[in-house]
Amino acid sequence: MQVLFKVIRQKQNTAPSVQTYPLDVDPENTVLQGLNRIKWELDGSLAFRKNCRNTICGSCAMRINGRSALACKEKVKNELMNELAISAAKLPEITVAPMGNMPVIKDLVVDMSRFWEHLEAVEPYVSTQARAVPEREFLQTPEQRSRLNQSGNCIMCGACYSECNAREVNPDFVGPHALAKAQRMVEDSRDTDTEARLEEYNKGTQGVWGCTRCYLCNAVCPMGVEPMDRIGEVKQQILERKDAQDSRPVRHRKVFIDLVKQGGWLDERKFALLVVSNTLRDLRGLVSLAPLGLRMLASGKFPLRFEPSQGTKEVRSLIEAVQRQNSQTSDK
Amino acid sequence: MPSKMLQYAYYPGCVAQGACHELYLSTAALTQALGIELLELKKAACCGSGTYKEDSQLLEDSVNARNIALAESQNLPLLTHCSTCQGVIGHVDERLKDYQRTHPAYIEQINGLLEQESCLSYGGSTSVTHLLWVLIGDYGIEALQERVTRQLSELKCAAFYGCYLLRAQKSLPYDDPFHPESMENVFRAVGATPVYYRGRTQCCGWPIASYAPTQSFTMAGTHIQEAIEADADCMVTPCPLCHLNLDSRQPEAEKVIERQLGLPVLHLPQLVALALGVKPDKLGLDQHVVSTQPVLEKLGVR
Repeated sequence: MQVLFKVIRQKQNTAPSVQTYPLDVDPENTVLQGLNRIKWELDGSLAFRKNCRNTICGSCAMRINGRSALACKEKVKNELMNELAISAAKLPEITVAPMGNMPVIKDLVVDMSRFWEHLEAVEPYVSTQARAVPEREFLQTPEQRSRLNQSGNCIMCGACYSECNAREVNPDFVGPHALAKAQRMVEDSRDTDTEARLEEYNKGTQGVWGCTRCYLCNAVCPMGVEPMDRIGEVKQQILERKDAQDSRPVRHRKVFIDLVKQGGWLDERKFALLVVSNTLRDLRGLVSLAPLGLRMLASGKFPLRFEPSQGTKEVRSLIEAVQRQNSQTSDK
Repeated sequence: MPSKMLQYAYYPGCVAQGACHELYLSTAALTQALGIELLELKKAACCGSGTYKEDSQLLEDSVNARNIALAESQNLPLLTHCSTCQGVIGHVDERLKDYQRTHPAYIEQINGLLEQESCLSYGGSTSVTHLLWVLIGDYGIEALQERVTRQLSELKCAAFYGCYLLRAQKSLPYDDPFHPESMENVFRAVGATPVYYRGRTQCCGWPIASYAPTQSFTMAGTHIQEAIEADADCMVTPCPLCHLNLDSRQPEAEKVIERQLGLPVLHLPQLVALALGVKPDKLGLDQHVVSTQPVLEKLGVR
């Protein structure tokens, strides 16, 4: 079938432009096969990364029809099903663009230096002590190994990093790929640096608290790593060890659950006061809330009262029962 | 219009009972105008907005299994009007339904906890749906179109979906998560013109607003500015948490991105109810931080 490949092309430090290549392709072909044919038959100057053709090496990640994906994994026919704007009058189109959050070197090739530096920042290696080869083999139970399954599938393609909303506004945020790897290190029974790692990943917003839970990493990951859920597992480990005075992100989580225990629903006024001003201990925090409070009062938006859920008692005892069960499991 | 009356177990969520009371009002006004009956779940609890899960998966599952069981006991689908509530409770429901077959021991653990604390147990017998999906699917877009008494033809609307509505559940009933059209289809049904811009499927920044305000408001501000540049008269969102960051924090967003913005942000039911002829004072349109007056003036509504 006839398909138009619209490729966003760019040279370093110049504005991007669209180049359209008409191609007669088998709908069963992958997008990568299409790009290869363009390069071999139509335009040898088109630049893109590729290697294994088999969803293993992670080289050919790019934005296909608006989201980051592996060109060797996505089939032409599926892309055309996704293409909602097909009209009878024109040929079906597939738009291919370079990944985001990384500068373009040429066409679909991006500079991934920061991606690799950010991975390095989480010390993505099992600790040196644990790597000392024992007399016999390392022993790990199937259950211990299973905690590494999902993050272990990562092929470092960059799709998650490319879409990450937090990375876009926070250049220090190490990104979903690095934090999924961090989870793999924290959960590895052989690693001896768990506590030091958790301190590191707990810092500021470069680590786990920088994640804004936009779910884009989960949505685009071609390997089912679900980095956002792995980030959540690192947060669980931190929250188990820290109290509300540790930091505002930790307090945010602790106060949230406490308030639901009190009222079934969240009382937003108390939440803001307790989290941001730390029960009036953080005066700068308190002052930062004042304009919002006044503005909401002025617009009639400020909730003057809070009505607890009629199921508050049940919810409180349910949450407490879950907390008891969880603490028994973590003591084991 | 659907042949029999639509009924839902209505899960109001925290924000519509607090800082976005206008959403509570407008959902009530819209469903009344459409003849949709809501039975409010007075004993329900906060879904956790993704925060419970950071404490433990069991906490998120148990509290929301209880919420879903409340709707099950009335033999009604659970209705949300918040992208975040929908994503969280909808995902718990789809996962627990799956676990009934694949991990029955986990379901037993949850129901054990629920029974021990005198709560109803989870049966996986209902569904969890958002007001937007009710309009599109259950009520039907053509039926909605027929009920429009005030064409919003002057209005250019920029949808802001909210992450959880698009990406928290494994499967969506009406949308491709990367190219959603359900909000835009509602806009067209009420005579308004959809405005497309990158931010419509992105994060508003709310989850990190309490501790990373600059990053959070940069997200909000950038999306609002893009919508303005795409010539939008207003944003419309099916998520009150997005509304908090886009409307209530818009003055902070202006400071962070150093641009004047002033774009009104409407809740989905406010927009639709206006097209059905509901009076603005029934919709809390005066309870916004960014004035909605320009929208009303453009529509010639008083």
